[in-house]
Formats: sequence, structure tokens, C-alpha cells
Amino acid sequence: MPKTSEKSDLREAVSLDRPWVTIVWDDPVNLMSYVSYVFRSYFGVAPEEAERLMLRVHNSGKAIVSTGNRESMERHVEAMHGFGLWATLSREDS
Amino acid sequence: MLFTRDPAGTVSASFESVELGLLRLAASQLIELLLAAETHALGTSADPALRRLLPDAYPDDAEASAEFRRFTSGDLLDGKLANARVLLASLGEEPLDEIADEPSLPFLDDRFEVPPMPIALDDVGVQSWLRTLTDLRLTLAERLQISPDGEQHLDADEAPLLSSIYEWLGMVQESLVYAIDR
Repeated sequence: MPKTSEKSDLREAVSLDRPWVTIVWDDPVNLMSYVSYVFRSYFGVAPEEAERLMLRVHNSGKAIVSTGNRESMERHVEAMHGFGLWATLSREDS
Repeated sequence: MLFTRDPAGTVSASFESVELGLLRLAASQLIELLLAAETHALGTSADPALRRLLPDAYPDDAEASAEFRRFTSGDLLDGKLANARVLLASLGEEPLDEIADEPSLPFLDDRFEVPPMPIALDDVGVQSWLRTLTDLRLTLAERLQISPDGEQHLDADEAPLLSSIYEWLGMVQESLVYAIDR
């Protein structure tokens, strides 16, 4: 059954290419205004987008703030720790 | 204490002497904590404040987190130290001079009325203040045993004092964020 096998090969390839993500987690300490400022100043996003991301962190407990290769995500996580935000990286959910 | 930004871009605020003493003491203690951290293996740090300042980068992978910490903790601690020292220096005192001192007893005496002191910050100063205020609040939050819902659980004589310092540092930071946001 060549079709099925092709499909599973494809799935395998996609999973190997699964990108990494930088996640910022909600904490009870950091001010909403500061978190929004960090997203704006570090990631260079528009104020509305920074506000949207900040609210997602606040309301959902976490938000993906960046997607890409592992090295870039490690750099972002280190930067977030420099700002005092609680950030981690992991494989994007399939 | 309220930060404003003038048309030339200078960010400034006036601080009472007692507020300056408080900031000096807090920043000095943060510097002590960071210096002590540099000599320890952070992955196994028993101090929750340090674990929060340098959290695990990989939530489900202790080995990768340890590796990440090995490569980043030196720079991160250096940065946090530099920021705290910039903040101290902007208060008009040499850093590390008065770690052992209690803040400013004479200022509690009416005979020593001292006018509020203006503190002006350049861009580097603003960044250092924002980040150091964050680190101070993160550290205090651990001491106050603040749970994820924001409740404080520390049951000790110093809790009310620490709590009001924590809230005040938040006001200072909020004011600074708004000043540079405009």
C-alpha cells in the first residue's frame, strides 16, 4: 500500500521539521504594562499586538511569543530572562 | 515620586531621602545575592529567588535546562549586576559603600529636613531601572511567598514592611513604564 506509506513518511518529515517556540508564562509579579513594553521593545511588535500577547499571557497563563529554530528561541528565552520574564522553549505542538 | 519625560527626552522623578535610602538598601542586597550566585551551581540553588531570576529554559528537560544555564547564567548574572549598579550609581552614591548601613536614621528626624532629590535617567539608566525594579520585585515576591494567584503567605513580623516595599517598587516601575510609553 504505497499511498499509506507515503503519507506516514510525510508525517515523519513534518514532525522532524516541527519548529521551536518561545513561551512566556504568567507570573503574579510582573506588571501588565511592563510585559507589554518588553514585547514591544524586544520583539518590535506594534503596541496592539504587544497588548494582545500580554493579555493572552495574563488570561491563558502563557503565550507563544515567537516561532523558529532552536538557536533563535534560546536567544529569545535568554533575553526574556534578562527582562525578568518567565520564559521557556519547546517543540511546537503538533 | 512620579516619573515624567520632558520634551528633550530626559526621564526624571523626585525621590524623598527615605525612598532613596530604601532603593540603595534594596539594590545593595540584590547585588550581594547576585554576587553570591556567581559562585554557586545555579541548577541546584536552594534559593527560590535565584531560581526565579534564572528559571529553567526547558520545562520538561532537566539536562537541556542545565546546559542552557551553563551557557547563559554568567552573562545574565553579569547583566543583572550591571543594572543594579547603574541604579545605585544614579542615586548619587558609590555602589557597595553602604551595604551594612541601615537607611538614613537622621532623615527620620524633623531637624534634618532634606528636600526631595531629582533623579534623571538616560536611556541606559531607564533600562537598568526597569530591569532592576523587576529583579527586586521578583526577589521580594519569593520572600513574601506570593502564590500564583498573587496572595502573600509570609507570616512574619517583617511581612507588612516587605509588602509595602514590594507595592511601592511596583508603583515606581509602573510610573517609569508610563513615562517612556508616551
